[in-house]
Amino acid sequence: MAWRRLVITLAVLLPLIGILAYGFMRDPRYINSPLIGQQAAPFTVTLFDGKKLSLDDLRGKTVFLNFWASWCPPCRAEARDLEAAWQRVKNSDVVFLGVDIQDTEEDARAYLREFDVTYPNGRDLTGKVAVDYGVWGIPETFFIDPQGRITYKHVGSLGTPLITAKLEEARAGIVSAKEGKGSYQTVR
Amino acid sequence: MLNFKLKIRNLKFIILPFLVQLFSVLPLAVAAQPPDLEAQARQIAAELRCPVCQNLSAGDSPSELAQQMKGIILEQLKEGKSADEIKAYFVSKYGEWVLLSPPARGFGLLVWVLPYVVAVAGIVLVLLVVRRWTGKKGRQEPSAADPALLARIKREAAIEAPAPPERESGSPRAELLQEQARLYADLRELDFDYRAGKLSETDYQDLRNTLETEAVLVLKKIETTPARRAATAPQASEGQPSIEKKTAQTQASARPGWQLAAGGAFLLLFGITVGVLLTKSVRPRGSDQDSITGDFLTGTGPGGMAGGAGMAGMGASSSRDLPALLAQGRAAYEKQELPKAIQAFKDALALDPNQPEAHTYMGLILAQAGHADGALMAFDRALSANPKFPLALWGKGMLLYQGKQDFAGARATLQSLIEIMPAGEEKNQIQKTLVEINEASKGRKEGPKKAKAEAAAPPAQPGAQPQGQQIRGTITVDPKLKSKLDGKAVLFIVVYQAGSTGGAPLAVKKIDKPVFPLPYSLGSESVMMAGMPFSGKVTVSVRLDKDGNAMTKGPGDLTGERNGPVEVGAQKVDIVLDRAM
Repeated sequence: MAWRRLVITLAVLLPLIGILAYGFMRDPRYINSPLIGQQAAPFTVTLFDGKKLSLDDLRGKTVFLNFWASWCPPCRAEARDLEAAWQRVKNSDVVFLGVDIQDTEEDARAYLREFDVTYPNGRDLTGKVAVDYGVWGIPETFFIDPQGRITYKHVGSLGTPLITAKLEEARAGIVSAKEGKGSYQTVR
Repeated sequence: MLNFKLKIRNLKFIILPFLVQLFSVLPLAVAAQPPDLEAQARQIAAELRCPVCQNLSAGDSPSELAQQMKGIILEQLKEGKSADEIKAYFVSKYGEWVLLSPPARGFGLLVWVLPYVVAVAGIVLVLLVVRRWTGKKGRQEPSAADPALLARIKREAAIEAPAPPERESGSPRAELLQEQARLYADLRELDFDYRAGKLSETDYQDLRNTLETEAVLVLKKIETTPARRAATAPQASEGQPSIEKKTAQTQASARPGWQLAAGGAFLLLFGITVGVLLTKSVRPRGSDQDSITGDFLTGTGPGGMAGGAGMAGMGASSSRDLPALLAQGRAAYEKQELPKAIQAFKDALALDPNQPEAHTYMGLILAQAGHADGALMAFDRALSANPKFPLALWGKGMLLYQGKQDFAGARATLQSLIEIMPAGEEKNQIQKTLVEINEASKGRKEGPKKAKAEAAAPPAQPGAQPQGQQIRGTITVDPKLKSKLDGKAVLFIVVYQAGSTGGAPLAVKKIDKPVFPLPYSLGSESVMMAGMPFSGKVTVSVRLDKDGNAMTKGPGDLTGERNGPVEVGAQKVDIVLDRAM
């Protein structure tokens, strides 16, 4: 009788503690993306040099799509690495594209000057592109393979080794099972 | 059984109206859509979660992203899309998470059903408990079932019985005996009051019946409750029935203690779990105005709503321990106790992730360890928190100049440092460095093409040969050590500049799961500090590391080295792994 009571008590309380533990452990801001392995949503942005760039024009190339803002410290932290990575791959079939969100043009231009960013960058004025990619914490980076499929998503700063490795995978069309996470800043 | 069925039927009458009420408040599908698109957009936004807030709908949130979402909803409505299509669009981007009310299927169904199930179960439980309580009382109704017992009670109550033996105190039986004595005393008192004319006949009979019934129950219980072993003999001599001897004594008397211990242990476990989880999830206050949960619950950054009060001020607003941690880190850094310093600054960053001083010192430590890129990132973090933090400007400037040979960047950084520095010896030093940088950059303009080409060399394309000079050779394992090979070990080829005594290696190459004999080649792509030339005389050593961590040497690692320095570009630099650690 006594052990039965104990078993019932445990059967009721342990799942409750489990749920409590799960609730405490997970990052309540984190949103798992359903986009990995899916076709990347098409968009067109006006670049800072005035030209227009459409994702469809980049079909056949591996695309490194990075969402950023000048007010975001983790974006600043990775900016130099991104430019260095771009310098290494710019002569190959890889295209880097930065999309500035929730920012003023003046601040964004200052940021690009400060970090000597040379790869194409544009602004998402309405937030449509950001929402199309489910952006919520920046920097947020999408690796898109030559067929236009998202192979990997990373929320937060990327390190050089990861950029290199994931570009290789995207080039080969290998889809990552999970998205990556670094230090990020929630968007406004 | 019939009684129970009746009770269940009664339960239905209590629960059904409750359920009807509960389900009536369920958000039902949007039945009527107002023709006004704005209102329609608001309604859809109210059903979508704001991705950057905590428990706010996109309709309620003032955040920029939520405003943009509302814009997109309106736009899609204008395109003629239905509410369901628009919601499906957001679900396809953010997952079902974005719906404030999860769909009533799959796992989401649980969220809909579970609260009601739990509520109903709770009500049933309460009713069952209440039924048991009232049932107990019901059994105490006068019953003439056992006239022999009643006669015994009348007889025993009339004489004052001695108190229950002390050695039994605390046992369930002793409690029952005490209860029995109390009831007998009450009965005597009742008789006394009645005789004294304080009670009416009916009251007396009622009260007497109640007390007698209780006494019958107690007597019955006493008969079935075993006495403790030590107390058995006196009990028997008192002429008590001997049924109790037959009952399993130890089991029954051990049960309450056992249950108490289990309950206590469980409460302790629960307390510890909650305590540990709470301390993990709640971060320390950034300031007195800050809420302890901060971004965790409200989506605001450290410093609470005051987070936007300026990045530069972030260094000042911090918890009580922060200055102490920083001082501790500084002291350790000055004594070059780097692990201690790293720990202190890491702790400081856990309290305030944007603390510029902690980032700066981390940068200095990283630069010292030869991790130029990590150091630059740390300096940039410090500067993004406080763009005029002198130590970070200095560290970044010097690193760009000496480590990265980025003269323009170094000049710009040090220039902005000079602008904020007071005149003095330190300022003169930096001005001198600036002059050096200018000269160095002039020197580079004349003959730097080679260096620049190397720095900006494209990375190794798959299949393409790395450029620049290489060291090549084959790594083999001493036959005596073959048994110690670990299939999961990682091989590190470490190159030091000849004559260097410790410090950071010039280049390191990591090879996972090597197969021996292993031909290798190592070139400028493996140089640790970007920009350092891979040339001249070097020493080469290899380590087969069991745990794969380049920083630690442990037992089971195999090592070997090339005797004497070699020139970069040398071929056949063969190395034998011939020592086990």
